[in-house]
Amino acid sequence: MRSRLPQIFFALSTLALVLIVLAVWQASTPSWKTYQRNFLQLEAQGEPSAVTKAAVLATPPEIHQVMLTGLQRVDRCTTCHLGVDDPTMKNAPEPFRYHAGLGPHIPSRFGCTICHGGQGLATEKDAAHGKVDFWQTPLLTRDYIRASCGRCHKEGDVPGVPELTEGRHLFETQGCRGCHKLNGVGGSIGPDLTEEGANRRSPEWLEHHFIAPNAVSAGSPMPNFHFTSEQARALTYYMLSLTNEEMGTYYSSVRLIPSPEYGRQLFVEKNCIVCHAIGGIGAKSGPDLLGVTKQHSPEWLDEQLVNPDLVYPGSSMPEYDLETNARKALVAFMTSATPQDAQEILSGKGHTLTPEDAAIEAGKRDFARFGCAGCHGTELQGGLPNPNAQGGEVPSLLHVSDDYTKDEILAVIRNGRAPPLDKASGPTPPLYMPSWKNLLSEEDIHHIVDFLWSKQQKSKESW
Amino acid sequence: MNLIREIWQSIVRRDPLSTDKGKSELVFFNVWLHVHPAKVKKENLRFKHTFYLGFITFFLFVILLTTGIALMCYYRPFPPQAYQDMKDLQFVVFMGPFLRAMHRWAAHGMVICVFLHMCRVFYTGSYKKPRQFNWVIGVFLLLLTLSLSFTGYLLPWDQLAYWAITVGTNIGSYAPIVGGQLRELLLGGHSVGEAALLRFYVLHVAVLPTLIILLTIVHFWRVRKDGGLSRPVWKLKPNKTETLVTIGAPLEIAPLKTGPASKDKTYGLMEVVTGKPIFETVTPEEEEDAVFSYPYAFFREAIALMVTVTGIMAISLFFHAPLEELANPAKTPNPAKAPWYFLGLQELVSHSALLGGVVAPALMVIALLAIPYFDRNPSRRPSDRKWALWLFSIFVVANLVLIVVGTFFRGPGWALIPPWVHVVAGAE
Repeated sequence: MRSRLPQIFFALSTLALVLIVLAVWQASTPSWKTYQRNFLQLEAQGEPSAVTKAAVLATPPEIHQVMLTGLQRVDRCTTCHLGVDDPTMKNAPEPFRYHAGLGPHIPSRFGCTICHGGQGLATEKDAAHGKVDFWQTPLLTRDYIRASCGRCHKEGDVPGVPELTEGRHLFETQGCRGCHKLNGVGGSIGPDLTEEGANRRSPEWLEHHFIAPNAVSAGSPMPNFHFTSEQARALTYYMLSLTNEEMGTYYSSVRLIPSPEYGRQLFVEKNCIVCHAIGGIGAKSGPDLLGVTKQHSPEWLDEQLVNPDLVYPGSSMPEYDLETNARKALVAFMTSATPQDAQEILSGKGHTLTPEDAAIEAGKRDFARFGCAGCHGTELQGGLPNPNAQGGEVPSLLHVSDDYTKDEILAVIRNGRAPPLDKASGPTPPLYMPSWKNLLSEEDIHHIVDFLWSKQQKSKESW
Repeated sequence: MNLIREIWQSIVRRDPLSTDKGKSELVFFNVWLHVHPAKVKKENLRFKHTFYLGFITFFLFVILLTTGIALMCYYRPFPPQAYQDMKDLQFVVFMGPFLRAMHRWAAHGMVICVFLHMCRVFYTGSYKKPRQFNWVIGVFLLLLTLSLSFTGYLLPWDQLAYWAITVGTNIGSYAPIVGGQLRELLLGGHSVGEAALLRFYVLHVAVLPTLIILLTIVHFWRVRKDGGLSRPVWKLKPNKTETLVTIGAPLEIAPLKTGPASKDKTYGLMEVVTGKPIFETVTPEEEEDAVFSYPYAFFREAIALMVTVTGIMAISLFFHAPLEELANPAKTPNPAKAPWYFLGLQELVSHSALLGGVVAPALMVIALLAIPYFDRNPSRRPSDRKWALWLFSIFVVANLVLIVVGTFFRGPGWALIPPWVHVVAGAE
């Protein structure tokens, strides 16, 4: 008994030593060191003399990181992707290749993951690329990476990414908000989409889902909207851009890109043509805007847009309270504006609205914006399947004034209601009318009812 | 040379180990070793008596202390940073993953070993007079171990941590009247958040370790005072109920008498304490059975230590501690599960909140505490205590079954799904 004890103790101590050596070895041979060695060899090839070669090769390995406080992230991607900002590495093999065409998005200000996705903190390939469990945003593939532009450029057009504009437009017009919340506004039948882009859902899944919701998510109450593949792609881009991250001012200031197209949109929206002309086409109350950018500096124009009264005391031009990039967009539009533009803008303008019509127009907008159209249809036709609801589908609103008074409908919108059941014993229908009183103002609700009644009269007339 | 010898002598202050006196002085003169007696019973050292579970638990605690202090150097107990620190440990800190894995696996191991140690003590009847209160201390040590593991669970601030603590503290809040307030006190709010993380951190690194160290000292000291390890059941003397006498315990013997102090003798406890100074009547054969703690006990303990350390290191080399996504209060995993050792309770809660959240845990703790006072049977022989063994075995098996069911057989919506059936996540 006595003689064996020291031997066992010694053997175990040796084992402990071996394990410690193994642990140290495991910790001191991470894969990024290999990448750095390979990169140094690649760099050394280009060195002219043996001395400089040796100097390059002697660079000690270290973790590179970009601290991006404004984006609340730390990107260590450049620990392996060492040639990203080195143009001589244009033809180098990955992971060392130079990243061309970044424009103003310099790596030291933007890092990598804000566009590419992946796990910036990681220093090991699979983990860094986000292809591991428990990481929500794996690397985006080439097909979808442009969706990331929408993470910062949240408004207006993004040059080169028409999908984002289209996706936003579809979201606001197809009634998605009827079921889905976005930034706190919307129904609660479907999942909240505020952080949809930060969820681990592959872009392919999303795109598939828009084309055939039930095929990828069995039993989903989401109806098939029969989107085209372009529309599905656009919506996928939009979803991927929804991350709800907090951004520093450096990044959030480019929420809106001051493009001439957006300037033109603003020009129409703010009704500039009512006072101004472009090359003689338009009204004459204000100065003609053709060539205005040649007469005045951009700073002067900007100042004029901020506070017209200050530049020309007594000016009748109102203050529009535009943000910096909106003003820049307007100036950009004015640089290129032609009389043809004015002609188009004028012809696109309808007659002035009466207060009643204005209310109906507002109702129509609200109907689309708050997502009523999602279930009741953009033409109020209803008809979405809703198993075990009376009639088996979402009711059409075309004949609503035959069956209800205005007050009754106001109450239904305010308080919501569960659809009457087809069979009392059957399952609860997946779709129901949510209560809107906390989401819509009384004014909005009245506008919507006005809009419904207006449709009603028209269909009666046509009857 | 003389100076070196003098310095050495001033440090160890004992005779050479070649002598029996030296061997006993090694134990007595050393503050770290004096919890051992100079001599121990050979049979008490047998592996099949204790499985060295108490020692292993203690060594796991030592591993936890050392790795824990190292981890504290890299950790900030505030929500977003805490998680980033975990990622840094995983990807940047030298040997960070190994360190964290050791802490994690040693923590799980300690929960298991404390429980097994308790089972061993019960099955050998070692909680009986005069060791009743040491059992009670042991139960508190078990509770402290669970609390330490539970508070540590939150610190990585990932989804696993967040929801395990949310569920775990919800179980506690089912207690009547005080439950809700207790939860609020623990969390510093109505839900797990910044305040909860800080409180759990303070409990985990300061309050609970201090308590557990203090109680461990008392636990060890009482074992020593109660005559060391209990005798293995197979060495119990036939037909004679064992009476253990604690030194200093009052006996029905003549009142304390002290003789006049003699000049040539140092006062020892032997002279003032009446009664039997040794815990058992020592027969010559038994005296033969006794061996010196050094080296017999020490080498065995050292081997237990090395087995524990190498075991945890080997596991940590190959299995890293899990880390899920950043905690997200808006995204509940389905199913959200408490730490595994509370899954038995969660399983009960799923049937009845009152039963699982209040009645069962309260009864369990009270029953465990009451065991040494409720069990009046003086015999430690298994044949004399069939009822007790059966009852305790039912308690152990019921716990294990509930934990296994809660861990492996519960899927989304807490539905009963065997682990071999793969569930495809639905609409989510």
